[in-house]
Amino acid sequence: MIFLTLEHILTHISFSIVSIVITIHLMTLLIDETVGLYDSSEKGMIATFFCITGFLVTRWIHSGHFPLSDLYESLMFLSWSFSIIHMVPKIGNHKNHLSEITTPSAIFTQGFATSGLLTDMHQSAILVPALQSQWLMMHVSMMVLSYAALLCGSLLSIALLVITFRKNIENFSKSNHLLIGSFYFCEIQYVNKKSNVLRNTSFTFRNYHRHQLIQQLDHWSYRVISLGFIFLTIGILSGAVWANEAWGSYWNWDPKETWAFITWTIFAIYLHTRTNTKWQGANSAIVASMGFLIIWICYFGVNLLGIGLHSYGSFTF
Amino acid sequence: MEPLIPTKTLKRVSPKALLTKSPLLQSTFKCQRFFFNSHLHALPNRRIPSLKIDSKLKTSQDNKKKPITQKIILSEGAPPLSEDVAGNEETSAKSQNSSSPMPVLRFFKKIPRRFLALLSNLPLAIGEMFSIAALMALGTVIDQGEAPDFYFQKYPEDNPLLGFFTWRWVLGLGFDHMFSSPVFLGMLVLLAASLMACTYTTQIPLVKVARRWSFLHSVEAIRKQEYADSLPRASVQDLGIILMGAGYEVFLKGPCLYAFKGLAGRFAPIGVHLAMLLIMAGGTLSAAGSYRGSVTVPQGLNFIVGDVLRPNGFLSTPMSSFNTEVHINRFYMDYYDSGEVSQFHTDLSLFDLDGKEVLRKTISVNDPLRYGGVTIYQTDWSISALQIRKDDEGPFNLAVAPLKLNGDKKLFGTFLPVADSDSPNVKGISMLARDLQSIVLYDQEGKFAGVRRPNSKLPIEIDGIKIVIEDAIGSSGLDLKTDPGVPIVYAGFGALMLTTCISYLSHSQIWALQDGTTVVVGGKTNRAKVEFPEEMNRLLDRVPEIVDSSL
Repeated sequence: MIFLTLEHILTHISFSIVSIVITIHLMTLLIDETVGLYDSSEKGMIATFFCITGFLVTRWIHSGHFPLSDLYESLMFLSWSFSIIHMVPKIGNHKNHLSEITTPSAIFTQGFATSGLLTDMHQSAILVPALQSQWLMMHVSMMVLSYAALLCGSLLSIALLVITFRKNIENFSKSNHLLIGSFYFCEIQYVNKKSNVLRNTSFTFRNYHRHQLIQQLDHWSYRVISLGFIFLTIGILSGAVWANEAWGSYWNWDPKETWAFITWTIFAIYLHTRTNTKWQGANSAIVASMGFLIIWICYFGVNLLGIGLHSYGSFTF
Repeated sequence: MEPLIPTKTLKRVSPKALLTKSPLLQSTFKCQRFFFNSHLHALPNRRIPSLKIDSKLKTSQDNKKKPITQKIILSEGAPPLSEDVAGNEETSAKSQNSSSPMPVLRFFKKIPRRFLALLSNLPLAIGEMFSIAALMALGTVIDQGEAPDFYFQKYPEDNPLLGFFTWRWVLGLGFDHMFSSPVFLGMLVLLAASLMACTYTTQIPLVKVARRWSFLHSVEAIRKQEYADSLPRASVQDLGIILMGAGYEVFLKGPCLYAFKGLAGRFAPIGVHLAMLLIMAGGTLSAAGSYRGSVTVPQGLNFIVGDVLRPNGFLSTPMSSFNTEVHINRFYMDYYDSGEVSQFHTDLSLFDLDGKEVLRKTISVNDPLRYGGVTIYQTDWSISALQIRKDDEGPFNLAVAPLKLNGDKKLFGTFLPVADSDSPNVKGISMLARDLQSIVLYDQEGKFAGVRRPNSKLPIEIDGIKIVIEDAIGSSGLDLKTDPGVPIVYAGFGALMLTTCISYLSHSQIWALQDGTTVVVGGKTNRAKVEFPEEMNRLLDRVPEIVDSSL
């Protein structure tokens, strides 16, 4: 009971902090770049990171297994991964646009996880025999980390696309009402505002700024996707080794496996388009934004169907 | 244009400090001193004693492999020659991928270049990957492995999906078994061919270029690099030491400096491709040379391994271990406190032809048994019989049948006929079980009578009949397989993980030239294009400024 209360408190704290961080981001965006506020948003993300870490550790202690056995836990872990990805470039002291992606992503995943949709899953479940393996830790954590990194990277690419083809946005943003769309929507709104800010600055600098922003986005989406690709490779391969231990075959063409492989292929295509200088920028960004959709199909879509060997994470509305 | 002048606030980095940091360096220096050649340039900066000097006379035969005749290497215990580094990389990549690609490459030399160029075309490769992804997606959308009737109904001809997609497409192209259909396998083969062609025509020449490192002798050439800067009142040796401290391999010749880092990141994509090929080869071997089989054996019975296994492909060859007889000593389950099953265990004994026990192991899910190339997995279970005593007679074994109700959960049932079992309307006691833990009994009317645990010896009286459930006998569902492809696939997995990680490294190259008192620095990198200028600025800030003009 104490554990449950602790979990509740931690999720609430982290959720409110992320909300505050987002507000700060919007404020700095609308008003001006205030260094003090920016710093506090950074501190907020660190606090969020520790809260979610605390949540996962509590969960681990009182359930007795690695807290990645169902969708609720994996969403919380995804949120945690976003905060990690947010913090890693900060250590290297690189200024980039990742924080604008990671904070909304973290709040959305956390919001979805703690929302009423999945209340029956908040209770930590028992572990079915097939999941009782050390591989669980390696495979699932790598997969979720890779999802987080790839989502960040592809969102950066989407932002790039939006900035590049800003004229077509108005029609585009209206047609999005889905959950996945909400990510887009927030992104588009954000970028719109960003470009508005840019438009207000002097005209001569605008194109230069835009060009620089596009280059920055392009580069960081490439770096983050490469990192996510490493995690995805390790995740899929460790899953294959585990499957060979548990199910008797390292590859079963199970829907989840297949979609993970499709994701892998799409991001392999992305990395290949990067080798051609002609395709860098918009073309590779289109591939990455396709990857964004495919990750969601892989992460949620397959579970919605509840078919195949990976049906542990399935849920019903 | 005024060149940017980096701030020089840091004090001079003393070479002695560097030396004390690495005791290894001193020892190498001592032995290297022997090999000082007399005709070498005098070192411009005598304060750096840690220079390893290596020289080679230029000959015409040598020209191709080693374009640099003399080099002064500032080395901190790192591999001294770039050629060596490259060689190591390549051999290690080869050794990871035990099936060397060389015969393949030789074979390729005979194929016209035009065909190779076509195969290694990047748009083609991307198209192949896209179509493979699309086919896989289609394979998850279309239900796999159903009877033709299913597809007749789901994709009828009079109401085609999207206006054209009917069962003729599904069955004609083999999309009912997508992952073994000729279309899909053909795409995979094409992709493998593209991989090989690309590795041969594009990547290996790239290695040759990357290995041919060279000094740039003109200021213009250095300024043309992606990153360029100049340091007034600095010495190229100081820059070399600082770059060395940052993990660069540094080469100095007179006023010229060349440094690089992360060369492995340049070569790793080749390793990725080779690892992919290795996995594909292993997968093919798995598909062609494996045996599979599954069996459900009640506790206490035996089976012969060879009877269960069925060959999968034309390369499947039986092994001596197929004669082994497997005896199920015991099948049991672990439960959580809530009553849910936590784990299945089967205690197996393996006997050879002479009836001698060769191995005994309790297997469970995630813990298979391996013997002589055969792997036995715990995958399933069922209840085979209930052992009961009826009015202190028996024990009788009642055969248990699986009942299929809604949902995935297993349910087993049996029936004990009461009175005349020959009459058409036979009545009796029904017993149902979800697991081996508890049996639910119902009377002749179908009303709930009670729950008994096996082994509890507690009798239950139903309609005047005293029943004791002695035992519930489980049977273990085992999967057996032999797979000669697994070692190759695992080798490929290992290589793929390693090379993908190494691929993240960015290959950075830096050139510098001492131009009077000014050092002109230029550099480029292939991946971390934003971080590289930042790192360079940071490093160049640390290059000490020469205050007195004694030089």
